[in-house]
Amino acid sequence: MNGKEKITENTSTHEHISSYAEHFGTWVALILLTLMTVFISTFGADLRTLTVATALLIATVKALAVALYFMHLKYDAKIYRAWMIIVMALFVFFLFMVTLDYITR
Amino acid sequence: MSETVVQQPSFFQVKKGLFSWIFTLDHKRIGILYLYSIGFFFLVAAGLGILMRLELLNPGRDFIEAQTYNQVFTLHGVIMIFLFIIPSVPAVFGNFFLPIMLGTDDVAFPRLNLFSWWLYILGALFALSTLVFGDGPADTGWTFYAPYSVKTGTNVTTSVLAAFILGFSSILTGLNFIVTIHRLRTPGMGFNQMPLFAWALYATSWIQLLATPVIGITLLMIVAERVFGIGLFDPSIGGDPILYQHLFWIYSHPAVYIMALPAMGIVSEIIPTFAQRTIFGYKAIAYSSMAIAFVGYFVWGHHMFTSGMSGPAAIVFSIMTFFVAIPTAVKVFNWVATLYKGSIDIQVPLLFALAFIFNFLIGGLTGLVLGALAADVHVHDTYFVVGHFHYVMFGGAGFAFFGALHYWFPKMWGRMYNKKVANTAFALLFIGFNTTYFPMLILGLKGMPRRYYDYLPEFHDLNMLSTFGSWILVTGIIVMVINLFAGGIKGKKASANPWNGITLEWQTASPPPLHNFDKMPELPAGGPYNYPNAKNASH
Ligand code: HEM
Ligand SMILES: [Cu+2]
Repeated sequence: MNGKEKITENTSTHEHISSYAEHFGTWVALILLTLMTVFISTFGADLRTLTVATALLIATVKALAVALYFMHLKYDAKIYRAWMIIVMALFVFFLFMVTLDYITR
Repeated sequence: MSETVVQQPSFFQVKKGLFSWIFTLDHKRIGILYLYSIGFFFLVAAGLGILMRLELLNPGRDFIEAQTYNQVFTLHGVIMIFLFIIPSVPAVFGNFFLPIMLGTDDVAFPRLNLFSWWLYILGALFALSTLVFGDGPADTGWTFYAPYSVKTGTNVTTSVLAAFILGFSSILTGLNFIVTIHRLRTPGMGFNQMPLFAWALYATSWIQLLATPVIGITLLMIVAERVFGIGLFDPSIGGDPILYQHLFWIYSHPAVYIMALPAMGIVSEIIPTFAQRTIFGYKAIAYSSMAIAFVGYFVWGHHMFTSGMSGPAAIVFSIMTFFVAIPTAVKVFNWVATLYKGSIDIQVPLLFALAFIFNFLIGGLTGLVLGALAADVHVHDTYFVVGHFHYVMFGGAGFAFFGALHYWFPKMWGRMYNKKVANTAFALLFIGFNTTYFPMLILGLKGMPRRYYDYLPEFHDLNMLSTFGSWILVTGIIVMVINLFAGGIKGKKASANPWNGITLEWQTASPPPLHNFDKMPELPAGGPYNYPNAKNASH
């Protein structure tokens, strides 16, 4: 019923409260990265096949920023970071096996 | 041991009336809501199963048309999988007992918990609505394989949406349990002091949380293809049907561990209690749950050996499949070792647990036959498969569910069922089950294909045997259900701890008060299964 009141840290971390500056900084970084993606694709920064790779790279950096700062992964217990990495690795494995099937068929 | 001082009313007594149930935030009441809904759908789908066996009593058409038969096995499969066995143990016993076994007063998100039950009901209504609208229930099999599922005129869209909604219900339950286990354990209970049932639910929850979204997306892709003709899976419009199978089984293989792991957790509770002995290899059992959940993600391709998947991929999947057998065998070894030299008290719950081991062993070993690439080419899509998965899901997970029901019944209702009748029901179930499904394994090896309403005359004898078995089986189900209802209404009052168990749920009243414990429960010294007076307790 009143489970919320009982949510205590059982995993030994102390609470971290992010500053406004940090949140705001992350937000600015995300905006800049978005502008960069748009710029590369529309305003003809001519990187040819590198375009896709660059876009993916930028997207990865953005995702990391969100996970680490907005989702607090940076300040939470290590176990949550481990879980996040396991999940991503699983996802990569899914893609890998499906692709393996596809190209060797 | 037994604290029978009941100062507070039980959770049944605190409030009365329909609304106090369907809008309850009490995890115990939600567990019971699930029990009734899940039990109801089990009986419906079992009825459909009996109907199919009746049609298969003789070769040729008896009373079901080919098309109707296709719809019957699909509905049977969809209900059994999505409405019965996937939610079964976590939603009923996980909800009821996880918080109690952790020594806390509820799950982390009680409202989300209630919401997940309502989603379950909504999904169930979607599934049932296929009976009344349009061209009737889907005829694709519970797997909804494309491109047929994209083309058939039956109600595939509604069935698929039902599975989609039920998936959300499952995700929310998993999320709730993960947070509950991380954050709400009673002070002093580390991960390694948790009961093994909690460990099993923890591993299961991660599968529910991570794998279910994959099926969600996949099912929406089916709908999108049916409605907008997008061309994801149908080769005639540029799609790849094997991609569908990949996506489907990326969820549905891990999903078999959503069914199996909680069942194994129950066996790990029942066996030490009725052997009155510390569990052998606590950590091995706990971590093997995690290992099974993990390895389970890498093997989905064993369902696709004959589908046109590439050779190299098939070989990799076949090898990986053999690895899952290891943690499973670890568990079986540990259960048997726990029984060794224990003070064994053969009661109904233990019988179900032992039957689980027996049936699951047959299910698991036939699974290895199917996982072996070369053997699977011969038995794929035969009755061997039907026999195999009933052994795992029904003889394994289903029997564990019944075992849990008999084990925790006195705690949930504060009454005891008639043990003699329960023994009889068990005997009928066990004999009926094996008579129904063992012949299917042989039929499959002889080449009888699955999903047909008809078969060649040479398969007649074994089919008759299987159908006779289904009559024994259904008698067992009926006797069990009646006995439990009778026990709940007018059974003898049960004490707080009728089996002399030592996990925390046995320290509170039967049935428990609203907030689970009248006073803080005491953790047993030296681990959750350390029986103080047992012989050989110090292993
Ligand atoms: C009363 C007990 C039951 C009986 C008599 C029964 C009978 C059958 C039969 C005869 C089939 C094969 C249809 C065919 O391939 O032509 C079948 C399929 C199936 N059964 Fe059962 N069954 C029972 C209980 C269960 C339970 C408890 C589960 C799961 C927990 C289950 C899950 C399935 C599934 C998934 C299929 C495959 C449906 C498909 O091919 O799409 N059954 N059952
Ligand atoms: Cu599988």
